Amino acid sequence: MARHQGRGFATIEYPTGMNQNGDPTQAWIKLKPDGRVDVFSGTVDIGQGSKTVHTQIVADTLGVPYDWVTMDNSNTDSSAVCTGTFASRGTFIGGNAVRFAAERVRERILDIASKELEIDPGDLEIADGEVVAKGAPNRKISVADVAGAATYNYGELISGQGTALKPFAEVNDDDGSVQAEPHSAVSYAACVADVEVDDETGEVTVSRLVQVYDVGRAINPVLVEGQIEGGAMMGLGLGLLEESYPHYPSAEHRGEQFGAYLAPAIEDLPELDNVILENPSVDGPFGAKAIGEMANNAQPPAIAAAIHDAVGVWVTEYPATPERVLRAIKARAQPRREGKRVIFDEEISLRTVSANGGAGFLEV
Amino acid sequence: MKAVGARLPRYDGLAHTTGRTVYVDDVRVAGTLVAKALRSPHHHAAITRIDTSKAEKLPGVRAVVTAADVPKNVYGHLEALGVPADEPLLADGEVRYRGQPVAAVAAEDVETAHEAVAAIEIEYEERPALFDIRKGLDPDAPSIHQWGPVYPHFGPYNHRRVRKGDVEWAFEKADVIVEGAYRPAAIEHCPLETQIALVVPEASGRLTVYTCTQAMYFSLGVIAAHLQVPLNRVKLIGGTVGGGFGGKVDTAAETITCLLALKAHRPVKWRWTREEEFLASSTRAPWHIEIQDAVSNDGWMLGRRMLTLHDAGAYARFSPYGLTKHGFHHTGAYTIPNVHFDGFVVFTNRVPTTAMRGFGVTSVSMAVELQMTRIAETLGLSPWELRLKNANRIGDTTANRVVMQDPSTVPVTLAAAERVGERLGPEYTAMTPARRSGELLPEHLAAQQAPEGAHVLSNGGRS
Repeated sequence: MARHQGRGFATIEYPTGMNQNGDPTQAWIKLKPDGRVDVFSGTVDIGQGSKTVHTQIVADTLGVPYDWVTMDNSNTDSSAVCTGTFASRGTFIGGNAVRFAAERVRERILDIASKELEIDPGDLEIADGEVVAKGAPNRKISVADVAGAATYNYGELISGQGTALKPFAEVNDDDGSVQAEPHSAVSYAACVADVEVDDETGEVTVSRLVQVYDVGRAINPVLVEGQIEGGAMMGLGLGLLEESYPHYPSAEHRGEQFGAYLAPAIEDLPELDNVILENPSVDGPFGAKAIGEMANNAQPPAIAAAIHDAVGVWVTEYPATPERVLRAIKARAQPRREGKRVIFDEEISLRTVSANGGAGFLEV
Repeated sequence: MKAVGARLPRYDGLAHTTGRTVYVDDVRVAGTLVAKALRSPHHHAAITRIDTSKAEKLPGVRAVVTAADVPKNVYGHLEALGVPADEPLLADGEVRYRGQPVAAVAAEDVETAHEAVAAIEIEYEERPALFDIRKGLDPDAPSIHQWGPVYPHFGPYNHRRVRKGDVEWAFEKADVIVEGAYRPAAIEHCPLETQIALVVPEASGRLTVYTCTQAMYFSLGVIAAHLQVPLNRVKLIGGTVGGGFGGKVDTAAETITCLLALKAHRPVKWRWTREEEFLASSTRAPWHIEIQDAVSNDGWMLGRRMLTLHDAGAYARFSPYGLTKHGFHHTGAYTIPNVHFDGFVVFTNRVPTTAMRGFGVTSVSMAVELQMTRIAETLGLSPWELRLKNANRIGDTTANRVVMQDPSTVPVTLAAAERVGERLGPEYTAMTPARRSGELLPEHLAAQQAPEGAHVLSNGGRS
């Protein structure tokens, strides 16, 4: 009886945006008479921090301080269409919507500043809330004064709207091919899991996760790290602990409260080493791709590989509960070799379990 | 100061951590009624009789709704995208999973609401149920869905197919064929905030819906479709959610609460209990995935045959979408020139499964990555080098012909290797995602490679 160390890893990819697209997010922005910025977007913040990220994107696109920007995503009367917070689309698609809206607002600010300063708008830039002549920093007007002039002198509400939308990509049902990219961007990640397996109890402890994410551009590194670390805990649940149906496929004996359903808790937290790579996307806001969903995808197979490295058995039914690990250690199953075929997992295969050898699924 | 790239604190962090954020359950409206649902105790049964008259007459009961009260009872979130609808808002004539809502009541207090649910007279005739997706097409499998055992609307097919290249050639050519089966489990979303809605019927005739949805316009469309009203009759107030993870794309509580509020002419709140959240709200889908990979002794992935069964539960919801996404990504972070993928959405008598973080692709990662490790083990190769060799590169095409513009399999894998001190051969440490050439462009990968500047390779990889 002993505890065995093991290491495994996985590399994954994940798309941004609803598969096959056709999922708009729209946003609009108006300025108050003192230049403060009201953003209306329907992107729901489910805790990932999209309100923060969108605020950062608007602030830098306009060239105003971050704390000038207020986000309102509170209702469907004042917000335009946002298909929703899913498909890892908040930063890329929602972020592009507010960026496009901010670019239009920026044009209006420059046009009005141009009249006030009598300088061509192309020779102006906005930074830290001031419109400044390029190469002549003394010739400037604050965005606050521009907004005041728009409101009280020119009779204009400075506003702008933006829509981020990739049109729906049809799929060919015969072969699954598409005629256009069915996503907005693709993010990648790698995860190394170090585990310890107790061959007496079957218990697996993850001691360390090294995780590398290419997010294109980390608009807010704290929030990216939040996704990496929160995702890691969900991945631990998927890999080791959680199952709605403990006797799947039976539907009986479901946990109906937290006391009877094992979600990861802080005691399960391993040492986390996060690495953020920034290979910018072509058309995301400031080069951003996405991270949200993929953050729980790489840990389960990395952990399963580490279990094999530690005790030499494959657990391919997730999660790798102590029972499954112990059963695998006891069985020491070897693949069947037939010519050049190396056949694992026959006991759970469709061919074995279905009454007719999987006919109907296999012969299409 | 630039905001992008700065480690700024969360916009709403202080409010969340000090308890000042207003979630749906924090909203107080005078005169709000309490909603409770009558849910199916059976996995599969016919409803032979339902009589709500005693419940309606109980003092303090203000509304009881059943399928008969829903203007359009069967509607799907993806109907607008061509996925036909199969799921009733309230069960009509039969139930297909334990926990399925059959009727709902609104009452002055929670005790009365429970009494009213208990006073609804209902009789069932149990039917055989199906739980194992592998047995969905067995000759003696019980009939559980009007569309048959599997979702039949992938164009002319009852499955999603992805085909590329010449898979027969790959399996003929292969030195080794590695076969494995992988089974990711259903899990719970586990939000701290259970499914909840508060609906206020306004004097103007509009409905104000305080919602925990992750997708306000999705939910607005679904509510308006069920109620058969234009979008301006309903105002959703939300945008802040106490945990979603995909489970709150379902619009679970809002529409039934609207029906109760309309019938009672009073505000109604429906807050699911923790037990309802666990047992009656949707889960991540269980999957059954079988992979056969044709590989060469020196570690080239020549071809893949993959069969995926997706456990939809009792109704389709987003499952056809998730399975298609799964098929699009079934080669993982690697370029495999010859593939043959079939995926089925199989119905069972469990709670419908739905979106959850990584929808459709988490299962790919869980299966494909363990399979890759097995291939390396079987061939006696480094699992790192196997992945780097077959990595997605600029100009490679995916199984569905999308040309890769900026793939990062190589950079993330190398960065991870460096972080843990993994020693790799110099030809691997020098790798970049650049277009294939030389030894990294063997003959079997030439046909799938796209010309520079292409975004989709039409008919690419066909032999």
